[in-house]
Amino acid sequence: MYTLTHVSKTFRARGRGGTVTAVRDLDLSIADGEWLAIQGRTGSGKSTLLQLLGGMDRPSSGTVALTGRDVGAMKETQLTGIRAAHIGFVFQTFNLIPTLSAIENVEAALVPLGTPSGQRRRRAAKALAAVSLADRAGHLPSELSGGEQQRVGIARAVVKEPSVLLADEPTGNLDVDTRDEILALLEKVWTANQLTLVLVTHDSTVAARAERVAVMHEGQLSINPTDTWIG
Amino acid sequence: MTARDANGPDSALAKSSGRFFVTYLLRGLRGRVRQVVIVAVGLAVGVAALVTLTAASTGVSGAQAAVLHSLYGVGTDISVTSAASSGGSGSSGSSQGMITRADAGKDFFRLPLGLGLLDSAALATISKMSGVAEVAGGLGLSETRAGPAPASGGPPSLTSTSIDGVDVAHLKLGPYAAGTITSGRSFTAADAEADVAVVDAGYAAAHHLRVGSTITIAKTQFNVIGIISQPAASNPTNVFIPLGRAQAIAAYGGLHTLAGKLTAIYVSAASASAVPAVHSKIAALLPGATVTSSGDLASKVSGSLASATKLATDLGRWLAAAMLLAAFALAGLLTTAAVRRRVREFGTLKALGWRTRRIVAQIMAESLVTGVAGAAVGIGLGFVGAALIEAIAPTLTATVALNPGSTPPQGALINGGSLKTLTLPGGVHTISVQLHATVGATTILLAVVLAIGGAVLAGALGSWRAARLRPAHALVRVA
Repeated sequence: MYTLTHVSKTFRARGRGGTVTAVRDLDLSIADGEWLAIQGRTGSGKSTLLQLLGGMDRPSSGTVALTGRDVGAMKETQLTGIRAAHIGFVFQTFNLIPTLSAIENVEAALVPLGTPSGQRRRRAAKALAAVSLADRAGHLPSELSGGEQQRVGIARAVVKEPSVLLADEPTGNLDVDTRDEILALLEKVWTANQLTLVLVTHDSTVAARAERVAVMHEGQLSINPTDTWIG
Repeated sequence: MTARDANGPDSALAKSSGRFFVTYLLRGLRGRVRQVVIVAVGLAVGVAALVTLTAASTGVSGAQAAVLHSLYGVGTDISVTSAASSGGSGSSGSSQGMITRADAGKDFFRLPLGLGLLDSAALATISKMSGVAEVAGGLGLSETRAGPAPASGGPPSLTSTSIDGVDVAHLKLGPYAAGTITSGRSFTAADAEADVAVVDAGYAAAHHLRVGSTITIAKTQFNVIGIISQPAASNPTNVFIPLGRAQAIAAYGGLHTLAGKLTAIYVSAASASAVPAVHSKIAALLPGATVTSSGDLASKVSGSLASATKLATDLGRWLAAAMLLAAFALAGLLTTAAVRRRVREFGTLKALGWRTRRIVAQIMAESLVTGVAGAAVGIGLGFVGAALIEAIAPTLTATVALNPGSTPPQGALINGGSLKTLTLPGGVHTISVQLHATVGATTILLAVVLAIGGAVLAGALGSWRAARLRPAHALVRVA
């Protein structure tokens, strides 16, 4: 699915001058249908790597290839189209639209695809049912718990049947019990939809659920099999 | 990756997204009611100030026109008068206008204070000018009648009657046209040389006159054919008689003949746009005369109307502009701040695959709705403001010399050993007019355009900011 070759990402440091290198000469391959966890401390560059995989930012150097196509060389409209159709995102802070209800938040992911409104509503309802939130479809995010909001986030990410699911600290804002529920849900979604799941986390317990774990440290990546992960 | 890489077919996309567009818009407005209300109220205040002050300004312009029409009739666009010559207004009788016992029982005629004479030959020339629809002449006179000499000595008592010679072929022009016949009939063309009169209602009541009565002017009996009610003014004409008769009786009592002479010419232009050109041509034809239209009457008027005019045009205009600018600035700042707070929301939408132009359209739509709300409320408040002005505005007064723009005749008053100069009452008109602050369609349209334009501009500023962000930057910014 993904092939990253000598990828680096550098940012200008605000206020202090100079630059900050978040990702440093990174090589990585991710197979179709794989569940990869990228573990690392805060500031290690793992979220930046996820944004590069999602086409939300461009590498400063190197190539990020998604099914053989260089994401960094695409126009913004092409990237937007790929995100719309093929990539689902799950965010640490849920990022639900506060003025839309749960089902409308899920529908928002289908709007760019031109899905007719009736079909859009049915698919959104089905996605919410799959995450056990059918009875909360009409509630605003402010009326949902953290776990419920993340379920909506997952429903929104998978409603368009993406090829790739990128999750950035999906359990970072949740308690232990809710964390396990969400992880179980992600695992269920990964299995049912046969999608490629890349999950970023600082938590070794979360990372351990993946097929493969990569560890980020100061912008560089090392790959470990799950039975020898670094915690 | 399949053909789904590109966005969906445009027609399906448009249809599907239209409904969600409206949903997101309405939810967004409902979820940010407080901000929407603040921006809308800010715009409304600016719009209301513009509407109210424009209505007041329109009212003042209307009052100026009402003054001109009160003086010279509704159909008159331009009046022509001249200043009295240094030899005085012409009078007969005792020198320097002083009446003595020897003048008891006599009648004296003079021209109105401060007014000179014009030649009626100018009427023919003016009537041929392009842009002129109608022209008429008028002759104002004042008859002073000395009573019998008192037995106790001293000068006789005096009664004065103001007389206006009316061009009976052009009754829509001149001060006569400003009145309304309340009893009897008006003049007809057949009355041109007849001894008939139309009498002011107040004068008729004071002198017990009615239709069919007779009044004596210059020892000639005039038959009262009508009673006329005139706009409130300090010196309304007491008696109207045909112009030719006024010119003839003026010779009575020793006043030099006024045949072919006028004290005023009244002109009706073919259209409002023709007034300035006609004004210029008449001024060129009669360089010594005073040519006055409602537009330049403002500079020749004193009194509270003049103050109101200055207030409306100077302070009012700048105040309205300043309030509108402040409203725009407030709307822009609040909208930009609101967009800044929603950066994560917009970044999320971009991550979901929403195009920048769709996000911009949502922001602009929210701003547009806010602008419409602000316009509606502002126009409503503007109407209220205009109504308040009309309700509380005092009756305005306009004082204008009989020859507008010239210094009114002055007299001297000795009181308690001090000498004061004062304007002789007979030398000026003082008109009372009510301010009508009306809100016109053009003002409403302007207010709507400005309010919506201001809101859209504010939305454009905010959405430009949002559009420039990459999704990653938008999400990181808020984290």
